[in-house]
Amino acid sequence: MKLTHRLIVYTGLALFYLFLLGPMAWLVLSSLRTSDSIQSGRILPAISELTFYNYIEAFKLNNFLQLVTNSVFIATSVMFIVVFFGSLGAYGLSRFPLKGKQVLMLAALLPQFFPYVLVLVPFYVLMSNLGLVDTHFGLILTHTSITLPFALWMLTGYFNAIPRELDQAAAIDGCSKLAILFRILYPIALPGLVVAGFFAFVVSWGDYLFVSILSQSNATQTLPLGLQSFLQSLQVKWGLITAGTVIAIVPTILFFAVVQRRLVAGLTAGAVKS
Amino acid sequence: MDTHDVMLPQPANRRFAQHRVPLRVRVWNETFGYLLLVPALAIILGLNLYPTAYGIFTSFTDQSLLDPNHYQLIGLANYLKLFSDPIFQLSFAHSLELTISAVALQVFFGLILAHLLIQRVPGIQVFRSLAMVTWVLPIIAAVVIFRFFTLPNYGFFNLILTRIGLGQWSRNWFGDENFAFLMILVMHLWRNIPFYAIAFMAAMQAIPQDLYEAARIDGATRWHRLMFITLPNLRYIILVMVVLHITFTFNNFDFVYLATGGGPVTATEVLPTYIYKQAWSGYALGYASAGGVLMLIVLVILVTICRRVIGGYEAE
Repeated sequence: MKLTHRLIVYTGLALFYLFLLGPMAWLVLSSLRTSDSIQSGRILPAISELTFYNYIEAFKLNNFLQLVTNSVFIATSVMFIVVFFGSLGAYGLSRFPLKGKQVLMLAALLPQFFPYVLVLVPFYVLMSNLGLVDTHFGLILTHTSITLPFALWMLTGYFNAIPRELDQAAAIDGCSKLAILFRILYPIALPGLVVAGFFAFVVSWGDYLFVSILSQSNATQTLPLGLQSFLQSLQVKWGLITAGTVIAIVPTILFFAVVQRRLVAGLTAGAVKS
Repeated sequence: MDTHDVMLPQPANRRFAQHRVPLRVRVWNETFGYLLLVPALAIILGLNLYPTAYGIFTSFTDQSLLDPNHYQLIGLANYLKLFSDPIFQLSFAHSLELTISAVALQVFFGLILAHLLIQRVPGIQVFRSLAMVTWVLPIIAAVVIFRFFTLPNYGFFNLILTRIGLGQWSRNWFGDENFAFLMILVMHLWRNIPFYAIAFMAAMQAIPQDLYEAARIDGATRWHRLMFITLPNLRYIILVMVVLHITFTFNNFDFVYLATGGGPVTATEVLPTYIYKQAWSGYALGYASAGGVLMLIVLVILVTICRRVIGGYEAE
């Protein structure tokens, strides 16, 4: 009974994970093969065929390093800005007697549900009026605006769950209002801050739509745009494309490995609270 | 401090207990709270609500990307034109089909995977921690992964089909009019099923075990326990996930645009890609905005239907 139960569970899991991880494994394996080896039609290459050649070549492509730098710079900035402003706002919503709190929270969350294509055109016009087209700052601001609603919502839930007695005690000890946020709430809500930051990072890192509109030169292009143009221009060089893709995946996976335990609790916190 | 408190006269003490804070302090407190929200709200509302409102306005004009500063109000003309545009109708149907089938299948497989993940078998922790890895990847990476996996001559999927004697089935899956749409659906499933599963799993673990014990004593079958204990308790999380993913799938531009560009021909054209092309290749900003407004309306209707059908809010 116990054995058959386990057998069924493992078989089911094997099917799911084959579907989920199989295609990824094939990508990683292929990124370590030369184009000749990939096109040979053999499924498993000999160990001796494996090489880092594609990775070296990818970094030699004229603007690849620039793409990586832009992506890292933009996504990291978005992460810190979102966590900072998100936590400030959440602190306000959670700890201060504001009128119309529900309306404010709803207004902040609503844009998350608007079709991006509707926002896109006026967004472009707005950005060009502000002189922010094709600038890092414009992209950072854009990604901040699309990830901030979730961070605000989630962190408010997180802060609400922290007992008020803690900040009251700190206030009696002479802690200023801002110091309460940074000294008392930050350390306790760290897991929530990390998840909000992770979410912002991942969305910014993976965004194609807004970058495709706002970036008009190599100076501001990010990895998703670069990969897309590889896909179109390097048609047969799958070795390079797969290596480039693996490089684009690695940071998100490493970050994911760090936050994975808290991710779901964080992602559903706002939902469960309301 | 303590001694000072004790020595306070009685009335003052009572006032303190009633939290009667002086007006000046109260006003400052509230102002400070609003100040904290200013940066976040300015960014969110300024960069989302304003463009949305402006987009709605644009939908009643003939604004063109070629000369965006000169335009006229043309009433509902854009909307009337949309209703008689065959490609718009097709994209509309595709968007609905994709959203409904993706979300329905995600809930179904998400429940199955969640059920597997709550089993206490050795090594289950590894499966749990790996689950959401597909969700964190950039969508362009998912597209490369799947296009590469299904390449006509040397993609893994076709190689395997040939090995097991189904060689006549091997094809360019993304380039085939009959299968491209299916591939888009598969990518949506691949990315999001684990997210559903993990969220459902968390909710399942929160269901009190004695409910199941009691049901077992009363002779409830596995099926009964699923239908009358597990699913009703998951109502709320199912609603949340469904609303979240209807929005995500219906609004999603990247998967289709990056994988097929809406093709072959119009086999995978959906509303976001069609509207995007109208704006940026067809220069018809007003027309594209009208399409966007219709998307918003349809989305509101879809979400409302879901709330009615699943009705988790009332249950809470």
